[in-house]
Amino acid sequence: MNGLRWAQLMSVVRLEIRKTFFARRGLWIYFLALAPVALFTVGAIAERHFQGVQHEAPVSGRLLTAQQMESIHTGMTRDELIDKLGEPLSSRSHSRTKFNDDGEKIRVQEEILRYSGPDRDLTLILNDGKLSGIISNSRMTFGQKSYVFAGVFQFFFIRLAVFFGCLGIFMNLFRGEMLDKSLHYYLLSPIRREILLAGKYLAGVLAATVIFTLSTALQLIAAFSTFDSNTVSRYLYQEHGLSHMTAYLGVTMLACIGYGSVFLAAGLLFRNPIVPAAAVLIWEAANPLLPAILKKFSVIYYLKSLCPVQIPLDPGMPALFAMLVSNGDPISAYVAVFGLLSLSVLVLWASSLKVRRLEINYTTE
Amino acid sequence: MSDQIVFENVSKFYGDVLGVNRVSLSIPPGITSLVGPNGSGKTTLMNLMTGLIRPSRGKILTLGLTPGDPEKLFRLVGYCGQFDSFPKGLTGYEFINLYLRLSGRDADECDELAWRAIDRVGLREAAHRKAAGYSKGMRQRIRLAQAIAHGPRVLVLDEPMNGLDPLVRAETIALFRSFAKEGCHVILSSHVLHEVDIISDQVILMSGGYVVAEGNIQAVRSEIQEQPMQIVIRCDHPNTLASRFFEEDHIVEVRMHHDKKGLLIKTSDPDRFFLLMNHVALNGHRVESVAPIDDDVNSVYEYLIGGEEGTK
Repeated sequence: MNGLRWAQLMSVVRLEIRKTFFARRGLWIYFLALAPVALFTVGAIAERHFQGVQHEAPVSGRLLTAQQMESIHTGMTRDELIDKLGEPLSSRSHSRTKFNDDGEKIRVQEEILRYSGPDRDLTLILNDGKLSGIISNSRMTFGQKSYVFAGVFQFFFIRLAVFFGCLGIFMNLFRGEMLDKSLHYYLLSPIRREILLAGKYLAGVLAATVIFTLSTALQLIAAFSTFDSNTVSRYLYQEHGLSHMTAYLGVTMLACIGYGSVFLAAGLLFRNPIVPAAAVLIWEAANPLLPAILKKFSVIYYLKSLCPVQIPLDPGMPALFAMLVSNGDPISAYVAVFGLLSLSVLVLWASSLKVRRLEINYTTE
Repeated sequence: MSDQIVFENVSKFYGDVLGVNRVSLSIPPGITSLVGPNGSGKTTLMNLMTGLIRPSRGKILTLGLTPGDPEKLFRLVGYCGQFDSFPKGLTGYEFINLYLRLSGRDADECDELAWRAIDRVGLREAAHRKAAGYSKGMRQRIRLAQAIAHGPRVLVLDEPMNGLDPLVRAETIALFRSFAKEGCHVILSSHVLHEVDIISDQVILMSGGYVVAEGNIQAVRSEIQEQPMQIVIRCDHPNTLASRFFEEDHIVEVRMHHDKKGLLIKTSDPDRFFLLMNHVALNGHRVESVAPIDDDVNSVYEYLIGGEEGTK
């Protein structure tokens, strides 16, 4: 590409970036991108503040062993419990009215003791100094949390948030300007339409990538913020954490590139975004059912193979979910990246043919 | 490089709807007005010239360049269309500057060109306000500035006088004239006929997608042989002159002016009439003035297209 064309390309990107990032009608895309961040943040806050005494346990050295946790049973007195388990991490007592077996109203002194074990928390309920109830809550391990993250990432984030976000960003690149009746200013400039297309696409990819990779990064931070720094460091540097996080960010970027090209083309072909959105959504969802050759014309086909954590197929999982997460035909990361980029280039090339013949007829918009 | 804008048998259909049909034109430099009622094909012709729409048939060359070659064509062409809209969020200055940057010019040059264009339309003080918030007249002027900013040799303007106050209108006409004087093409559409009459070097009259006449207004008028020309004569003895005129077979009608100091003549042969007037003057009749009253574009248009369809 010569200097002139490069300067023109950058001029288009400069103009489009302003419109894409600061468009009021694109505000919902930010909400969409921030929705999973909010989900993980609320989850983390709930874990920390409402259930989260477990973090004190390792620090204070009052973490119960599995043997200790198994040794208690209802009917034990408070003193027996303290003998076996030691002082609780927290306790709270109050009196309340209950009905006895004869149906008579009685007042009892209720006390709640909290203990924490290596993988679960215990809530012990004592009535008048005797253990009457044991509630055991399994605490989410790092591995379990990574599955939860993978599930949200594949089910919601890529398939819905990035998908519809790209729909909003890329379909508007041409269609939005036709609705605003301002596309003709571009078409009356001394610039090849292919350069215009490339500039708009680059600006869209830049905007979508910034918004959604930032969202992915924030989700990761929020999701794993409930674990102590040692656990997180071990995950990042001794296990696969760093490569997983890089993979998640990369998949997000590739999703923006792939869906971006598809919706840019759709914006040139369709007036109503609902039609292509529905068609592509169904096509992507039905990917596992497609013949091998058609699978390759789907963005999710490549993204699935690049996701670092495969969600285990649970026998109780609904059939639709199982179909969405199953990856019966995995491909190597290199093939997946090359395949997705090739698909995007192919779609952009087809779009360039369309944009070369594009006519302005605002009255029909 | 050719200095003409050429339409070769150009037709444009929007599905079954006719836009323009079999248009063949060769437009020389100067101010050319496209005149016709709504739906006559003026805007279609302009959009075809600038490649915003493609012809169903035929070929268009602007200074030898096709609309399919935007990199070269739009360094020479500026188009101020009828669409009263702007890219969202841009100020008047940004609107001109950022679109100038698309040509690949450097930032300093674009800045200079943008301010020069803004000054030419007198919008310097409002240049840093959002263009979408301008008044109608200001919006029209900033769009005009955007069309002229890169110094085009062909300026295409769709209803450029809409929304302009009389002072700005006069300045704008002067601007068009200065362009024409520099050997540029100024092609404008209008249905304000007296303006067209004043500023145009040539007119293209359109109706129903067809070009019904083209050329300078007088030439077009003389082509309409079947329509007698109307001439007003101011003189001291209208009765004597009237009886003299009745002797001529090309005089269709003679009417006395209500102040009895003039005549309204209709002649089917203007050349013979003006020859006759020379004889009349030589024979001692005092004639104050002889003025054709229907060689303006309005009359020509009505003759060609008919009163019912006339301009707005």
